[in-house]
Amino acid sequence: MDKDLTGMLPLPFNPYLFVLLVSSVITLLMLPIKDPSFLPNNALLYVLLVVLTGSALGQRPAILAALISSLLYAHVFVPPHFSLAITEIHYLLSAAIMLIVALLVGHLTASLKNTARLVQAQESRTRALYELARKLAATLTRQEIEHTTCRFLQEVIPGCQIRVIEPNAGDSLTPPLPAPLRDALEQRQQTLRTENGDPAQARLLVPMLASSGLHGILVCDLPAAQAESTEHRELLETIASLAAVALERTHFADAAHQSEVRHSTEVLRNSILSALSHDLRTPLTGLMGMAETLSRGRISPERQQALLETLRTQALNINQQVTNLLDMARLRSGTVELNKAWQPAEEVIGVILQQARTQWKDRPISVSLEPGLPPLCYDAVLMERALWNLLENAIKYSPAGSPIEISVCRQDEHALISVCDRGPGLPAGLDSDTLFSMFRRGNPESNIPGVGLGLAIARTIAEAHAGDLLAENRPGGGASFSLRLSLALADCPEEELDEQP
Amino acid sequence: MNTPESILLVEDDPQIREFVSIALEGEGYEVHEACTASHGAAQAASIRPALLILDLGLPDRDGQSFIQDFRTWSSTPILVLSARTQENEKVKALDAGADDFLSKPFGVSELLARVRALLRRRQQPALDTAPIIQFGDFRIDCVRRIVTRRGKPLHLTQIEYRLLVFLAANPGRVFTHRQLLFQVWGSHAVENHQYLRVYVGHLRQKIEANPAQPEHILTEIGVGYRFQP
Repeated sequence: MDKDLTGMLPLPFNPYLFVLLVSSVITLLMLPIKDPSFLPNNALLYVLLVVLTGSALGQRPAILAALISSLLYAHVFVPPHFSLAITEIHYLLSAAIMLIVALLVGHLTASLKNTARLVQAQESRTRALYELARKLAATLTRQEIEHTTCRFLQEVIPGCQIRVIEPNAGDSLTPPLPAPLRDALEQRQQTLRTENGDPAQARLLVPMLASSGLHGILVCDLPAAQAESTEHRELLETIASLAAVALERTHFADAAHQSEVRHSTEVLRNSILSALSHDLRTPLTGLMGMAETLSRGRISPERQQALLETLRTQALNINQQVTNLLDMARLRSGTVELNKAWQPAEEVIGVILQQARTQWKDRPISVSLEPGLPPLCYDAVLMERALWNLLENAIKYSPAGSPIEISVCRQDEHALISVCDRGPGLPAGLDSDTLFSMFRRGNPESNIPGVGLGLAIARTIAEAHAGDLLAENRPGGGASFSLRLSLALADCPEEELDEQP
Repeated sequence: MNTPESILLVEDDPQIREFVSIALEGEGYEVHEACTASHGAAQAASIRPALLILDLGLPDRDGQSFIQDFRTWSSTPILVLSARTQENEKVKALDAGADDFLSKPFGVSELLARVRALLRRRQQPALDTAPIIQFGDFRIDCVRRIVTRRGKPLHLTQIEYRLLVFLAANPGRVFTHRQLLFQVWGSHAVENHQYLRVYVGHLRQKIEANPAQPEHILTEIGVGYRFQP
C-alpha cells in the first residue's frame, strides 16, 4: 500500500525516514515552549502525528511514529528534560496509549485500504464481465463466442492458454481427456485440475454448463501457482457459465431457424405440387390432344398448320413455367451465387427487348432512359429473369395490342427500372406481400397460363440485390411494377481513361 | 453438288438426338450420332466431321475438358447445347474453344441458322480480316484505319477501333468477355470485365441508332457479345 505513494513522488520515498523527519520537526518546533501546563498538548500533537501517519502510510510507519513520539515525548518534554528517566507513571501510560493508538489506527487504515482495493478490483471485474456479457450477447456463432471468451480470459489472466472444446472433443487434447473425467465434469459440475505435461503448469477444466446440459469445456493452461487461486477459479467458472448461456442461445437459435426452414420448405413443396398438378397438367392435356389429333391426320392442311403453331406456343408456355419453378427453387435453396458486375441498365433491357420482339411481334414496347444514369451493380442473368418476368406479366395481363413502357429513372439514391402497362391495374386492397407471394395469381382459375411465380421471382431477385419490387396503379389506368436498386455510387469503380484516338 | 457435309452429334437424350438428326438430314447433311463423350471422341477421330454438335450435360465427361482435348488435334467448329441455367458452363466451353452455343429449349430454325453460319465460316478463306469491312451504313478501312458512316468519318479511340474491328471481322460469332479482353487489351486484362462494358457502351453510343436496343453489338447475357452486321 505504501508503494502506491512512492510511485507518485519524483524521489524515492521512504515512509520511515519521513516519519523520523516529521517527528523531529515537531519536536524542534515545540522545544521553545517550556510551560509544563502545555505538556498534554505536546502529547496530543504526537498522537495526532501517529494517527495521521497510520491513516496515510499504514501500520508499520505508524508504529515507528508511536515509538519515536513516545521516546521524544519522554526524553524531551517530560521532566526531567532530555533524559529518559520517566519518573511519573502516567507518562509511561501516555507512551503506551500512543503505541496502542498507533497500532489500532494503522490496522484500521490497512484493512480499509485493503477493502477499497478489493472493491475496486471487484468493480473492474464486474465491469469487465458486464462487457463480456454484452459482447457475448452480440455474437451469432459458436466460433465467435469461443473467440470472444478466449480473448477476454487471456487479457484478464495474463500468461494463461485458453481453449474452448466441444463436450465430446476430449480426445483432441494432449494428453487426451479420459471419458470418465469428462463425465465427472458433466455430473459434478465443477472445475477439475489436471496436468498438461508441463510440470510448472496446471490445467483447469471448467465445464460450460447451461440449463440444457454441457455445451463445451473451457481448457485453461496456467502456471501451477495461479491455478490454486480461488479468485481465478471463480472467474473462470463465472465466464464459463456466461459463455455456456451464449452457446445455448446460438444452439436454440439454430434449432429454431432449422425448424422454420423445414416448415417453409414443406409449404413450398405443397404449393409446387398443387401448381404442377393444376397449372401444368392443363396445358399438357392440350398438348397431348393436339398431338393425337394431328397423328390421326383427318384434318385440312390449314387446320394442321394452325394446330402445330398452337402446339409450339403451348410448349413454350410450359417451358416458361418450368423455368420459373426451377428458378424459384434455385433462388430459394440459397445456392445461387450472385455474379454482380457494374453495367448500364440498358444492357439487360436490350436483351429482353430482343427476346420480346421474337415472342410478341405486335406488342408496342417503348423504352425511355433518363440520360446520364450511372451504371448499376447487378447479376445480368438474374436481372434479365426479373425484368423478363415483369414484362411477361405486363403483357399477359393487359389487352392485346396495348402499349407497354419500360423506363429507367433515378429517384434519390436509387435507380427505378419500371415496366408499365395499360391493363386493368392492381386489384384494390391487396398489399405487396400478398401480391408478390408465391403461387399467387390474379385469378386462380384464369386461362392465362402461369403458376404465379413471376412476381415472386422478380422480388426475390430484387432482394438478393438489396433492392425491392414496387407495384402501383398508374394515373390514367394500368399497373406499374418497378425494380428499385441502390445506386451505391461510392463503390462504382473509376472508368479507365482511354488513350488518344 | 459434292458430297454432303458430315455433322457429328454428341447428345445423350434420345428425343433431342432424333429431332436434331431429322432436321439436319432434311437439310442434306450427313449426321452421325453418339450418346457418350468417349463414343463421340472415337467417332470424331474416324469420321472427321465438318461440324461437332456437343451437349454440355453428358453423363461420362464434362464438356469443357472434352473440348480442350478435341482442340489439341482438330479445328472443326463446335456448337454446344446447354441448359439455360448453365451460363458458367457455356462460358467455360467457349473459352475452351467452342465456337457457338444454343440454350435448351431451342427451335429448329435457330439450330439450322447456327449450323449454316458455322459451316460457312469454316469454308471462308483463311484470311483473318478483309481490308474493308462493311455493315449497315458503316465502312471500316482496316488499312487506313478509318471508320466512316455514310461517307462521313467517325471519331473512334484506339480501343474502340480495335474492339469494333475485331467484332465486325467475325460477324455472327459469339465472344466471351474474356476472349474480347484478351484480343483487345491483352492477356493482363482478361479479368477486367468492367473495361469491356464501358467500351461496349461507348461504341454503342457511336454506332447504334438506339443504344438501348442495339442492332449490331448484341449482348449474350451472362456470356459475352455477338456482332450482327
